[in-house]
Amino acid sequence: MHCGSVPIAVKQPVTGVLARDGLLRRLRGDGVPRPEIDPGLAGGLRDWLEDGLVESVGALSSGTDVVRVNKESLNQVLLCEAHLVAGRRAPRVGTVELARGSLVDALFRQWSTIGVIDDPWADAVASFEVDGDRDGVLAFVAGLPETHRRRLAAEVAEHAAHITERWPVPSPAWLPRTQERLEVPLCGGRVVLAGVVDLVLGSPAQERASVCLVELKSGARRLEHRPDLHFYALLEALRSGAPPFRIATYYTGTGELDAEPVGEDTLVSALARVLDGAIRLCRLSAGVEPQRHPNQLCAWCVGLPECAPGQKRVGADVALVPSRGAAVDGESS
Amino acid sequence: MSKVPARVRWFTDALLGPATEDVAPGALAQLRDDLARDLEALGAELPDGERLQMDAFKVRMAHRHPDRCMSIDDAFVPSSRSSRRAVGVAAVNRCVRGRSPNPAVAVAEVLAEGLEDAAVAPGSGAVRAPWWAQWYAELPRGGRAVVCAEAVTWATQLLTAVDWQQVPRPVIGGRDDWWPQGRGARVVLKGRADVRCLVGRRPVLLVVGTGRCQADWRVELGYPGLVAALGRDASVAPCRVVGVWPQSGQVRVLPVDFAALRATATAVVAGVGTWVDSRIEAERAKQVGPAVVVHGVTV
Repeated sequence: MHCGSVPIAVKQPVTGVLARDGLLRRLRGDGVPRPEIDPGLAGGLRDWLEDGLVESVGALSSGTDVVRVNKESLNQVLLCEAHLVAGRRAPRVGTVELARGSLVDALFRQWSTIGVIDDPWADAVASFEVDGDRDGVLAFVAGLPETHRRRLAAEVAEHAAHITERWPVPSPAWLPRTQERLEVPLCGGRVVLAGVVDLVLGSPAQERASVCLVELKSGARRLEHRPDLHFYALLEALRSGAPPFRIATYYTGTGELDAEPVGEDTLVSALARVLDGAIRLCRLSAGVEPQRHPNQLCAWCVGLPECAPGQKRVGADVALVPSRGAAVDGESS
Repeated sequence: MSKVPARVRWFTDALLGPATEDVAPGALAQLRDDLARDLEALGAELPDGERLQMDAFKVRMAHRHPDRCMSIDDAFVPSSRSSRRAVGVAAVNRCVRGRSPNPAVAVAEVLAEGLEDAAVAPGSGAVRAPWWAQWYAELPRGGRAVVCAEAVTWATQLLTAVDWQQVPRPVIGGRDDWWPQGRGARVVLKGRADVRCLVGRRPVLLVVGTGRCQADWRVELGYPGLVAALGRDASVAPCRVVGVWPQSGQVRVLPVDFAALRATATAVVAGVGTWVDSRIEAERAKQVGPAVVVHGVTV
């Protein structure tokens, strides 16, 4: 079976079609002319990034690992450097939310590729079995108590139903590709900007931007999702020489679509943010003491027991544990 | 005005540019003799009954992570990643020949044909299913969807990288190169290109890389060029290997001159040496049994 076929269970003749049409119009940005490609833009953005990074990269010793900048590391390092470092030291912990996100991502990929979801749970699990389950989703799910697993399966099924009701199976003519990896090496490969876009639509740009990027979220709508998209728009511009004409986040829980056009201002602000984060990540890789920036996530930070500013922020009186090689008293910058 | 994106035009021009470097027949024959001698000597060190089949992945692994060679099993395990190239090249071939309108349709057709072949092949001497077909046939729907999705993404990246109308008689996928041919050799080199086409009488190879271009890209591109050259006369040896890394948008062009062949051969010998050492160590570990750690000291 191929794209376009719809399983019987999800046929919703009027509302479903209307919802899909509206969503498509917003994805295409109907009525808004697509921006012309500036052939010098991508090269200029790359030069700007590399010029900004040259000093930080120069401070890295020759044996230092590649500094990878992805949306998670960027968000964390800009929120609080100490939070990022503490998170990296702690063992990776799976959560129901992360598992749900991964399973729903897999189903969205399946829907966008073959246009059929029969049994959401079985389909999602099978996709991880064939793909190697690198993030340990299956192991995490297998370790859940039966009632939690059943609740998770019900949630996944609900998201799958929303996808099949509201999300149009993209026409093959739009060259849809799923889970497309983007990797942009900078400064001779010492720094790598990386991301995986859930869905990319459109052929390579000729005179006008022609690519649309879609990011999927199974959780609640959050302000931070916007900069993630801008980061991906920058990556696409650097990789292909042409920015996307549109970027969108689709929320499978509610069916909301946040779509926006990509202008030069979007790319420049994303660049400033990436540069700030990448410089911080380089500093941390060079062994510089992480800066502490108390914030709303301090209460959930695994580094809280050894962070005085964090404890002050949350009003905790947990005994401070001396951090490994880090000063615990005083708030640095 | 042309409808071809500037990058695609530039890449296609780089692929099809005139051949500039010739390899002298005598020099290629000397290189072939030297390499055969070196590989034979290394092959003789392999544990009894073992053969070593080198490919581009093993050459890269030996250079980038020699410590990991010992833990890598030669047993092939099909996966969505290992099948995406096989399905993807067949799909691109269909699109370029005008048999399918786009990669998604082409991949669906290739997979459907694979299923048919897998069903028929066991009882038929005439039909031979592709290697992935039986494995794919046994997957549940969710697994099949991932295989399809990976192949569509891969095929779309290759299809949109080249202005195919400009490429004369491209061979997409095609047969791998093997050297030395014959059954006696204990070390065999397998070279693979994703696309081959001719510039005059000389082949040009196109290789699709994964991730980003690494510092050792000359070896990565030189390897298929070397294996193809070893099995041919100098006059029809590849004139260049072009690498494209769609995930990073990088492109590299390696002219296949004598210096490139010699440098690649040196790297291949070093890589084979690493693999032979790891095989010897693995055999030794098998005989001695697993290491035991007592008070932090490996015994």
